[in-house]
Amino acid sequence: MSNDTLILAFESSCDETSVAVIKNGKEILSNIIATQIKSHQRFGGVVPEVASRHHVEEITLCIQMAMDEAEVSYDDLDAVAVTYGPGLVGSLLIGIMAAKTVAFAHNLPLIKSNHLAGHIYSANFVTDLQYPFMALLVSGGHTELVYVKAPGEFETLGDTRDDAVGEAYDKIGRVLGINYPAGKEVDRLAGIGKDTFNFPRAMVQEDNLDFSFSGLKSAFINTVHHADQVHQELSKEDLAASFQGAVLDILANKTFRAIKTHPVKQLIVVGGVAANQGLRKRLADEIAKRNSDIELIFPPLRLCGDNAAMIGAIAQIQYEKQDFADLTVNADPSLDF
Amino acid sequence: MKILAFDSSNKPLTVAVVEDGKILAQMDSTEEKTHSISLLPDIQESLKKSGLSVDQIDRIAVSDGPGSYTGVRIAVTVAKTLAFTLDKPLVGISSLRLLAANGDDGDLVVPLEDARNDNAFAGAYINKSNESVNVIPDHHIAMADLLDNLENYDQAQMEFVNASQHLADLIKARYPQAKILLTKDSLPSAAKLANIAVNETPVRDINAFVPTYLRLTQAEHDWIKKGHKEDGNISYVEEI
Repeated sequence: MSNDTLILAFESSCDETSVAVIKNGKEILSNIIATQIKSHQRFGGVVPEVASRHHVEEITLCIQMAMDEAEVSYDDLDAVAVTYGPGLVGSLLIGIMAAKTVAFAHNLPLIKSNHLAGHIYSANFVTDLQYPFMALLVSGGHTELVYVKAPGEFETLGDTRDDAVGEAYDKIGRVLGINYPAGKEVDRLAGIGKDTFNFPRAMVQEDNLDFSFSGLKSAFINTVHHADQVHQELSKEDLAASFQGAVLDILANKTFRAIKTHPVKQLIVVGGVAANQGLRKRLADEIAKRNSDIELIFPPLRLCGDNAAMIGAIAQIQYEKQDFADLTVNADPSLDF
Repeated sequence: MKILAFDSSNKPLTVAVVEDGKILAQMDSTEEKTHSISLLPDIQESLKKSGLSVDQIDRIAVSDGPGSYTGVRIAVTVAKTLAFTLDKPLVGISSLRLLAANGDDGDLVVPLEDARNDNAFAGAYINKSNESVNVIPDHHIAMADLLDNLENYDQAQMEFVNASQHLADLIKARYPQAKILLTKDSLPSAAKLANIAVNETPVRDINAFVPTYLRLTQAEHDWIKKGHKEDGNISYVEEI
């Protein structure tokens, strides 16, 4: 008999329908991701009702592909895991109902997992995590510094007081005429331009670990609108570089402030904004500058966005703790640690 | 044939296990409970009361809309996932057709769901013993237009089912002789759903099974109003 644990994991918290088969929380046997980006681009952002409708269209096909690609049968599985929050309630419910149904139909234990914890454990696929470690979670919905003391034990050290960092990228992207999601293109432009506008770095002087991006966003938008009014053309590249320069200063400042009070050997950066090239370089430079031996971990791009593999990784820890749920699991849209 | 049937398309939740017309178990709830919490435990309990395991079921029947978008999606997601994962035949039945089953034989039965702002989801059916003929397809319509469209029917033969008090008032003003079943007197029954589903052909492609919303989302409606057109060749969802 095999000692391996196989988990069928579901993630549908926003606009990706994803189903994965994960072995021992470490090995991805399959990780099917159906993204709805093209649909929501019509509207300039995610429309919750549209997202829910797409999830129902995709859900069983994703299960089928995940099982086929992993070459496993239901008898091989040890548990079913699902994201139950945070996220859009209508979206979450599709993954939850499907996961509960599969668990019930095949008499498998059910695990309800936190989407944010899943993002953090996407790092488990690229390294052996050493506790305690620090996680910088940066996405369209979240900006958090999380101290992970032990497997599955999280302490939020800092959080955003207003916009999430990815959200700020999308909003200033719209002003630059960049289609949603804007992060990748702003990152590219920033790589070409120079930080000439000197936008505000909110809260970097303050002795806490919280973030704020709405002041930066407003300063950016005001600058562009003012230039429009006086018919002055501004360099998109310099605007992007100035915005990103401020974002990176804020993220780097708070992250290393956190590491100073909570020493760790590993810094992992997860979430959609972890794909940002400027952020990757900046954090590496900061570590080099400090002569620090902290291991900087960025999961591969495919695992930066929402995916079910990461849910399988956190669910493995819950499986080992026998942290099981019953069939009454419901969505918790504002779940935190 | 053993059928597991359930409906969560509106406030009531109903689950039944029926074998060849005989009800082995039925669970109904009209309380304000959350269908996402109750549906699977109710299915589990119904099967237990029937003395059956889920893999002994021969067919799954579900109301596939119209109704509360979230409510319909909950039942449809469970039904399609169950049918898919256990490789069982799946039948989707209109939630209005199920409500129409509460009407009397021979009447022009008009099942309704209040869609707010004087609109309704509605259809028209004529029941004859165990069969039901669809006379007006299910659609989303302004209540005034629906009542206009029924002008040529004899109001003494009309029976409106699942009317909210507000819709009942509109109907009474126009057709004082029509029969009206209020929502509380015309709850959907999963046992009836099973009996309708027994004669229907199961869906061919379970993966493609989705709710019948009968309405675009507001965002899509606005998008089309701006002059955009749906392009059948574009796939809005892609595997990456």
